[in-house]
Amino acid sequence: MPESTNQRITSVGIDIGTTTTQLVISQLTIENTASGSLVPRVEITQKEVIHRSQIYFTPLLDRDLINAVAVSKILESEYQAAGLTSEMIDTGAVIITGETAKKENAKAIIDALAGFAGDFVVATAGANLEAIYAGKGSGAALYSAQRHQVVVNIDVGGGTSNYATFHEGKAVDSSCINVGGHLIEFDRQGDRITYISEPAKIALQITGERLQVGERVTLPQLRPIVKAMAGSVVDLLKTSNPSGLTKELLMTPPLQFSHPIGKVMISGGVADYVYAEKGPSTMSEVTAFGDFGPLLGWELKVSLEEAGFILEKPKETVRATVIGTGTQSVNLSGSTIHLQENTLPLRNIMVLSPFQSMIPETPQRIAEVIKNEILRLQVDHLEGVVAIALKGPRTMSFADISHLAKGVLLGLEEYLCNNKPLILVVEADCGKVLGQCINASANRPLEMVCIDQLEVENCDYIDIGKPLMGGRVVPVVLKTLVFNR
Amino acid sequence: MILKAKVYNKLFGFESLKEVMAKANEEKSGDELVGIAAKSASERVAAKLVLSNLTLEDIYNNPIIPYEEDEVTRAIYDGLNLRIYREIKGWTVGYLREYILDHKTTGEDLAHISRGLTSEMIAAVAKLMSTMDLVFGSKKMRIQSHCNTTLGVPGTLAFRCQPNHPTDNIEGMMASLKEGLSYGSGDAVIGINPVEDNVETVTRLLDTVKNFMVKWEIPTQNCVLAHVTTQMKAIEKGAPVDLVFQSIAGTQKANDAFGVSAAILDEAFALAQRQGTATGPNLMYFETGQGSEVSLDAHLGVDMMTLEARTYGYARGYRPFMTNNVSGFIGPETIYSGREVIRADLEDLFMGKLHGLPMGIAPCYTNHMKADQNDQEMGTLLCAMAGSNFFMGVPGGDDVMLSYQDTSYHDDASTREILGLRPLPEFEQWLEKMGILENGKLTERAGDPSIFDK
Amino acid sequence: MAVANNELEKVIIQSIMEELAKKGLLSQKGKDHVMAAAIMDTPIVPDTHSEDMVTFPALDEMQISNPFNADAVRAMKKLTPARIGIGRAGTRPKTISWLRFLADHAVAQDAVFLDVSEEFLQRMNLMSVQSAASSKDEFLQRPDLGRRLSPEAVKTISEKCEKNVQVQILIVDGLSSTAIEANIPDLLPALMQGLKSSGINVGAPFFVKNGRVWVQDHVASLVNSEVIISLIGERPGLGTAESLSAYMIYRPDETTVEADRTVISNIHKGGIPPAEAGAHLTDVIKEILAAKASGVKLNQQK
Repeated sequence: MPESTNQRITSVGIDIGTTTTQLVISQLTIENTASGSLVPRVEITQKEVIHRSQIYFTPLLDRDLINAVAVSKILESEYQAAGLTSEMIDTGAVIITGETAKKENAKAIIDALAGFAGDFVVATAGANLEAIYAGKGSGAALYSAQRHQVVVNIDVGGGTSNYATFHEGKAVDSSCINVGGHLIEFDRQGDRITYISEPAKIALQITGERLQVGERVTLPQLRPIVKAMAGSVVDLLKTSNPSGLTKELLMTPPLQFSHPIGKVMISGGVADYVYAEKGPSTMSEVTAFGDFGPLLGWELKVSLEEAGFILEKPKETVRATVIGTGTQSVNLSGSTIHLQENTLPLRNIMVLSPFQSMIPETPQRIAEVIKNEILRLQVDHLEGVVAIALKGPRTMSFADISHLAKGVLLGLEEYLCNNKPLILVVEADCGKVLGQCINASANRPLEMVCIDQLEVENCDYIDIGKPLMGGRVVPVVLKTLVFNR
Repeated sequence: MILKAKVYNKLFGFESLKEVMAKANEEKSGDELVGIAAKSASERVAAKLVLSNLTLEDIYNNPIIPYEEDEVTRAIYDGLNLRIYREIKGWTVGYLREYILDHKTTGEDLAHISRGLTSEMIAAVAKLMSTMDLVFGSKKMRIQSHCNTTLGVPGTLAFRCQPNHPTDNIEGMMASLKEGLSYGSGDAVIGINPVEDNVETVTRLLDTVKNFMVKWEIPTQNCVLAHVTTQMKAIEKGAPVDLVFQSIAGTQKANDAFGVSAAILDEAFALAQRQGTATGPNLMYFETGQGSEVSLDAHLGVDMMTLEARTYGYARGYRPFMTNNVSGFIGPETIYSGREVIRADLEDLFMGKLHGLPMGIAPCYTNHMKADQNDQEMGTLLCAMAGSNFFMGVPGGDDVMLSYQDTSYHDDASTREILGLRPLPEFEQWLEKMGILENGKLTERAGDPSIFDK
Repeated sequence: MAVANNELEKVIIQSIMEELAKKGLLSQKGKDHVMAAAIMDTPIVPDTHSEDMVTFPALDEMQISNPFNADAVRAMKKLTPARIGIGRAGTRPKTISWLRFLADHAVAQDAVFLDVSEEFLQRMNLMSVQSAASSKDEFLQRPDLGRRLSPEAVKTISEKCEKNVQVQILIVDGLSSTAIEANIPDLLPALMQGLKSSGINVGAPFFVKNGRVWVQDHVASLVNSEVIISLIGERPGLGTAESLSAYMIYRPDETTVEADRTVISNIHKGGIPPAEAGAHLTDVIKEILAAKASGVKLNQQK
């Protein structure tokens, strides 16, 4: 087994939002950090952004449909600018956010970007995942760990505001509201309305303000509606039982406030206006980019301060999501795992987590639970591959692991008959011995990927990349994240 | 040189000074292991009796390890002030003991004769001394040194904050450091034992601590206890080293096993003077301990205590800022019980001081010794009464990286308050500014590492 | 229980009460009460069926009164196994952290000074031999004796062990009997399964009492295995007394040095769990067999 001490992988992150599209290329250093006599412990030790793209307006075919070919052109020119070719990219993630997060867009992007990196991952971001990437990219996650303060990062983009709460570096809560700087469009630097989005119409209705496409508006006319939206963004920080406009615009369950908020950070397109010295004083300042982003930013700051929140400026503002996507999407498995396969990388693996609390004690019972779950989720009708996720105590006895191996084989008997690989994702550090036990119990050689020390949830989708560090670890990308509520 | 003695009706004869020195020792398992310890209580006393009658000149004329064969012997003899030696060479070891204990003899006097004493003479006199003799003698001697701050100021007791972490995790180390500082530990030095002995790790630790010292304006010393050659490489690459650390021993063979020599230490000292970050003039930090030569099979048949004295003779040429003794760390094959380790600590403190070294003690123990926390606390209080310049400070007394027990942050604060001792002056001011200490006592705010997390 | 009718019992109770009172563990009032109860012939029945017991609080329980930043303290405690954030009584430790320290030291000392139980060896079906060190005291003070076998052990091994196997497994108490009892039940079957399913010929594992790492060289010279692996208790720290190391060497001889051994340490439930370690060690042994070398020489071939 070749024993390299470190390996570098190049990762691209692309964020296609309602208004803007950007990408970053980063280099991740993977190292064995365990000292000589210890079992290897492979970790990502360094994340360095080596290229930041320009910020492009998202190329659209019509209001909701992304021009995927134009996106691939952006990639091409940015790879060139970075001095990289697509072969040099090891992994990456595209995140489609805000209003553009639609299935047909994702499909189009996958097709258009196929040639740009072998292991491309597309996440039509759930609002939760987007919020977390933004908070990690902005630096909120790190701040919460270093300063031991609970930080809420709100990524305010063109169409949505995504909240993620971080406690000691970990995302503990998230939410999303349909407020963004691009919900009403104007002539650039002008005062004539060219478009009013659905959420903006709701806001108008509830506030009783009247604005119409084609009309010219003054700042005093516009301000109340923007103030109302900013108020909703702040409202969601105060209550888990919102009403009125906030309730109408809410896109996910509200925040749960299991941790009292210490600081608030704003990232995303309007962030720079939140942290500006003064607010826009003319309509042409407001509509510099054809929307009301600058005004929303300023009103947000005013509302937050009025409500007594302490604002902290994040390290990254407008690029937070893309940096988060580029540097935070890859996880590594534990460093003692069992691989016997020729099929990696595998994409879009659906995760089944059949055991809700405890793993049963007998192989028969284990098999029964797995079979039921397969039946319940109609796995037989799925074309794709599934992984069985096993939560268990940190340390399991050899006897328990043997039973588990037998139970898993028994439970997946029919599934494995279809020549599908056996994929196990274990939370406890026992991937290698579980793989060994499965081999000992199986009557034929199996295509098997048994990895550990990863937390995944039922019905998550994951991608498992090609092995790294001489087969010690595999990279895993989580594509959806749902908090248990 | 008379090598025979009669204890009541029993006659004992010895072959050499080396044998007398070994057999005059209090019981320790390392001397037993090597097979040089006294065979009976009476033989032990006979050896002490013989030793008490030998003159300093006898000892001078019979080097325990030949000058030609051993660098440590050469350092001891070459560093001796022959003029002072000649004034006292006629003294017997027994007289030297009484001179040391005499009311008329001051610390100044002892500092003066120190320069005319070889390490073997110092070991010899300590072998004739009881626990209270050792405390009494040690207490007279007050040795000061200066790096960034002054160690050994009368009325003070300092501590090394030792925030080790089992994987060199920076944040984990910082957590222990903050805890230590919040108890007032860390005025002697912030000294970390790294797991990984490489330039990157050492530099990372040094940079982190230095930045913290600068940010919070902490008046102390910065040191990472890697091998001296690793620290030298780190200094050359610009790492902020205040003190250069090295473990040393009492024979050339043992130092070879440690990977050090006089040439390397000379170079390290010169480098610290040229490129170190500290004010000086004292820039070295040594660690020593009875039994290291035994565990390295480099004892050459010499007893542990004499070898320890020789280690101090080797060290004193480098004018260290601090010398720390860790006799309890080596293990039960050299020091078996709490009783043995307390005795060794007091011997070492006394012998080090009589060499003119700024001594500190780690009255520590491992879990495979027959010793416990009570033994450690007795040793600590005795050594503090004997005027140890400093002790270690380990969170909860449990070093999670080296797997042994040493004085805790709590012990540090307790020892100061029990004996009415204060932190080093600059550090005390800082503690007061931070609201950790008031009139020499911990405040309500003390003992909380999160005071650094605004 | 007619206590007062028995004068002897009365005296015993009284003296225990006195002793407890002297140590401050029983107030005068409490003492009087108990004595009165005993003398009045009132049965004092300890409620042995009750589930109530005294235990240590969770390690993450906040021990600092009014911390400046409680989240920071909790986070710091997670970053290191060191005893931080434990509060104080004056300058001294709180009662609970002092008692926890004592408990951890007690566990560590028991790991060093107590023997692996006979019952355990029987349950694991392990033959037992002894090093040349005849007692724990001797073992601790004379490292040389722990490195070789007693004459009886030499005889037993010569007679009973299979010779010329590919791998011989030794279980050695070293400095922690606790590490053996805690890890071997999961480690050994995982290792045996791994080696056997790889078609490797393994001798029956056996136990060496009062042994050090080097005793494997002596055993190897008798059984002539290609690889010999010692699963040996590490010197306990206060954090854990259960840590085990595996020392592996390819055909040791008189010229063998420390660097010729491949070591995997920190095997316990808080480090690499024993079952997983068994599977990992299988891979390491396969590498050693393939390379016909261990330790530094093995690493050089990589």
